[in-house]
Amino acid sequence: MYLELIDVLISGLTNGSVYALMAAGLTLVYGVSKAFNFAYGSFFSLGGYIAWMLMAVFGTAKGYFFVFILSVPLLLLIGYGVERIIVSPLRKRQDWEVKVMMVTLGLALLLDNSFQVVFGARMKSLPPIMEGALTINDVIVSYQDMAIFILSIASILCFRWMLNNTRLGMAARAVAQNPAGAQIVGIPQNIIFASTFAVSTAMVGVGGILLSQKYFISPADGWDILVKAWVITAFGGMGSIRGSLYAAFILGMLEACVGWLFGMSWILVANFAVLVTTLAIRPQGLFGKWG
Amino acid sequence: MNWKNMAAIMAAIYGIMAMLPFFLGKTNFVMHILIMCLIWAVVASCWDLIMGFAGIFSFGQVAFFVIGAYASAIVSNTYHVSPAGAILLAGGFTAAVGILVGLPCLRLKGAYVALVTFAVHMTLEPLLKGDFGRAIGTGGSRGIMAIAPLKLFGVTFSSADPVPFFYLTLIFFIICTLIILFVIKSYWGTAFVALKDSENLAASLGISAFKYKLTVFALTSFITGLAGGFYCHYVGMLSHRLLGVDLFVTLMVMLAIGGIGHYPGAIIGAFITVTLNELLAPLGTYRPLIIGILIILLVLLFPDGIIGLVQKVFTSKADKATKPVY
Amino acid sequence: MNKIYRIALTLLAGLITTAPVMAADTIKVGVPLAMTGPYTDTGDNYWKGIKMAIDEINGSGGLLGKKLKTIRFDTMDFAPERVMQGADYLCGKQKVHSVHAGWAGWGQDVRAYGKYSAPFFADDGSQSAVDVFRLNPEKYSNIFQLTDVGINQAQSVFRVLMALPYEYPNKKAVIINADDAWGTEVGDTLKKKFKKNGWKVPMHETVPYGTREWGPLLTKIRRIKPAVLHLEIVSAQEVITFFRQFIKAPTRTIISYGYSLVPREVVETMGKQADGLIGEVPTAMPTPQAPTPQAQAWVDRFSKLYKHSPQAGSWAAYSGVNAWAAAVRAVGDETRHAEINAYIKEKGYKGETGWWKWDTDNVMRAGADVPIGHYQVQNGELVTIFTDPPTKPYKNNAFVVPRWIRKAGS
Repeated sequence: MYLELIDVLISGLTNGSVYALMAAGLTLVYGVSKAFNFAYGSFFSLGGYIAWMLMAVFGTAKGYFFVFILSVPLLLLIGYGVERIIVSPLRKRQDWEVKVMMVTLGLALLLDNSFQVVFGARMKSLPPIMEGALTINDVIVSYQDMAIFILSIASILCFRWMLNNTRLGMAARAVAQNPAGAQIVGIPQNIIFASTFAVSTAMVGVGGILLSQKYFISPADGWDILVKAWVITAFGGMGSIRGSLYAAFILGMLEACVGWLFGMSWILVANFAVLVTTLAIRPQGLFGKWG
Repeated sequence: MNWKNMAAIMAAIYGIMAMLPFFLGKTNFVMHILIMCLIWAVVASCWDLIMGFAGIFSFGQVAFFVIGAYASAIVSNTYHVSPAGAILLAGGFTAAVGILVGLPCLRLKGAYVALVTFAVHMTLEPLLKGDFGRAIGTGGSRGIMAIAPLKLFGVTFSSADPVPFFYLTLIFFIICTLIILFVIKSYWGTAFVALKDSENLAASLGISAFKYKLTVFALTSFITGLAGGFYCHYVGMLSHRLLGVDLFVTLMVMLAIGGIGHYPGAIIGAFITVTLNELLAPLGTYRPLIIGILIILLVLLFPDGIIGLVQKVFTSKADKATKPVY
Repeated sequence: MNKIYRIALTLLAGLITTAPVMAADTIKVGVPLAMTGPYTDTGDNYWKGIKMAIDEINGSGGLLGKKLKTIRFDTMDFAPERVMQGADYLCGKQKVHSVHAGWAGWGQDVRAYGKYSAPFFADDGSQSAVDVFRLNPEKYSNIFQLTDVGINQAQSVFRVLMALPYEYPNKKAVIINADDAWGTEVGDTLKKKFKKNGWKVPMHETVPYGTREWGPLLTKIRRIKPAVLHLEIVSAQEVITFFRQFIKAPTRTIISYGYSLVPREVVETMGKQADGLIGEVPTAMPTPQAPTPQAQAWVDRFSKLYKHSPQAGSWAAYSGVNAWAAAVRAVGDETRHAEINAYIKEKGYKGETGWWKWDTDNVMRAGADVPIGHYQVQNGELVTIFTDPPTKPYKNNAFVVPRWIRKAGS
């Protein structure tokens, strides 16, 4: 019995670490600029495909080092560009929130189907970051899962450090707390919006690389990711990094437990039941402010 | 837009639609597209009323449509209620679900509302497919294979003979779109504009945001449920596939093209989107790709959609004409 | 910036308005397949077979001296309304003389194309499609199924599992299937079969598509230690992730993938790692050695054309086109649909492996010259080890006890 529990726990932690990474990016953009990005899931697949292409260039064995080194700046650049070209022109409008949703929805359609045209409908696979597994008595933890856990936690910590200790991070927090005040003290809002969008693109893209070496890449995967990230973000409190971290691990555990006790088809229902209950009691989510 | 222009545009739409079967009535395929245009135009109009005018980010429109369709199919199949009665019951049932969803969720803000309503959408699929669904007669993942066609005054309206069904749908479409027009142009519509501009100020003037939002939510759920019932008796089959991303995205595209909050843009948007989808269908994968590009360009260039574009053209001409000469 | 957008928009509008022009002296053939959405891959498999057949016919002078021209329609995810629209477009508007659909639904296709008279070939493999057919066999006489239904495929899987030259350590079976019509049809039938034969089924899970984290289920499986595990999810990601997570700590279990073994990625991605898995394909062309010289020639042609060995569905769809073409040649006029349908039903079709015969339900039942093929992955490629019905080993290809069972046993 206790062995089963340990298995479920490990499964929950692995889920949770990746969810945390995906949700942190979404919550950052929403927290700072209040923009809802429908193409978030497509950037996840984009990360996977970029890694796949780089892998083809650099070969397999030691490729991952280069993949991360090259793909992160590339994703930052793409995110920055997307914000400047299609999101920021809409910002001056009164109903820009809906318009941003629509334009990013268009982008999601464009990206997902471009993936299908360029890479084909078939899934692509990446070699695992690490082979083998750690075995202690009957408990088995694969090195691949451990690598995902460590890399995603490291990315989030690095991101939190940036937010709290760099000028850009502090400026982003200022804009999130009080956009008018931030403008008065001379923080260039447009650059902050675009930068946060870029960082969030990089985060979900890295999530895409980490997950696709375990789960593969296919053109329409993004939608699942978008819904998941969105649920976690709302559960933890939109705009709260800490909240989304907790929420990710709570939901990761919940999934593992529900799947184990009741069956896989109840996971989605359970997720939404927890979310709706939470929002009914605390409309702002678990940690509905910056922290 | 003022009352006169709106009414003129809608009268023109009704007139053109009523004439079309005289030219296209022989081709079932085209008639089918026209019928779907009308049904989706009703759903898109409801969504526009909710999102564009009432300012509620509801993503539950497809879910309500599916709830209405299933309710009508189950009521007529299991309890042998006549399809017309079943459609009305389905509308009532969907409105009740709408109120149930609206009660907790209309107190929430922006993206949270979107999420909770979308949650309804997402949980619907496992419910319909699972044991619960099979118990109430959804047919599980196969769906419902046979639904009785609509019978009114001794006439059977079915997909086999689309012209009569088209006119029936047209009547339904006219009634629904007029109701929506009246809501927009009534005291309610004005209240919504006030609420959108400043919720606090509106509240201080005695406009209860919650009450208005809930009423509109119930009304649009009712109409969407009716549309769902209409749809299921027309097609004669039903499956949970409607809940896929495709329909949701298509409806959103209708609003983007028509111009959200620019009624009756949603109607025109629905017509354009359905037609475009058919024209582009032979292109396969390139169809959604082109539609994606089109949305981006449209939203950036003409953020107010077709209606906004038309208005711009007319007002700029008018401006030039009335420009005083010094 | 604004100018660039405007130019792009004009270009786009131009692209949309260019309509295709039809040539005379052709026979139109409708091909409704999934071209976008989750089933694009299966749609592609059918398209390869259909295109190959049509190109071959056109290459050898056409049908009745006329060239065949395909008209494609995107059925997306087979929503009933979409399928109906496809029928109205292809048969109603384009007036095609035959329709080759591959997997087209679970009954909605029968109703949609039954309204018209042009022969319709589908690869549904679904009992509910047959149920719809039985409502009005007269009206639906133009509907031809190229494969047997899921219930019979599941029974075939059971027969072959019992016929394997292998002694099961216990009588416990675990079944996992997808939550679609196909998955539940196979899963439920297998469960019944196992129970009827004195097996226990301590776990029968229905999982949604997109499940890729199997930890909680594997935990239960490792406790149960079943002798057989059947997984029926026709999607590569799910079955590959399942196997990779299972193999980390395997139990002494025969893993049967049923039809889920066929997505090409399963063997292409896993290679020799997949060795030992078993599965089935209805209306199958046995590989690597085909049963007859003509069949071998077909396999060689296909492999040369597409640079990989034939996938499930390609040969069925190819044969559907040729069955129709043979009937048209016999009748002598592609427009006499009723006679063509009657000819196909009465005479059948002689294909590469022998005769195809449709039963009273217009279903090509498995057996005789076109049995269900049962495969095992050996050396990273699908090898036919059994054909059924009747259950018999295929050529000299023997079943190999999977490595994870041999390892655990020693």
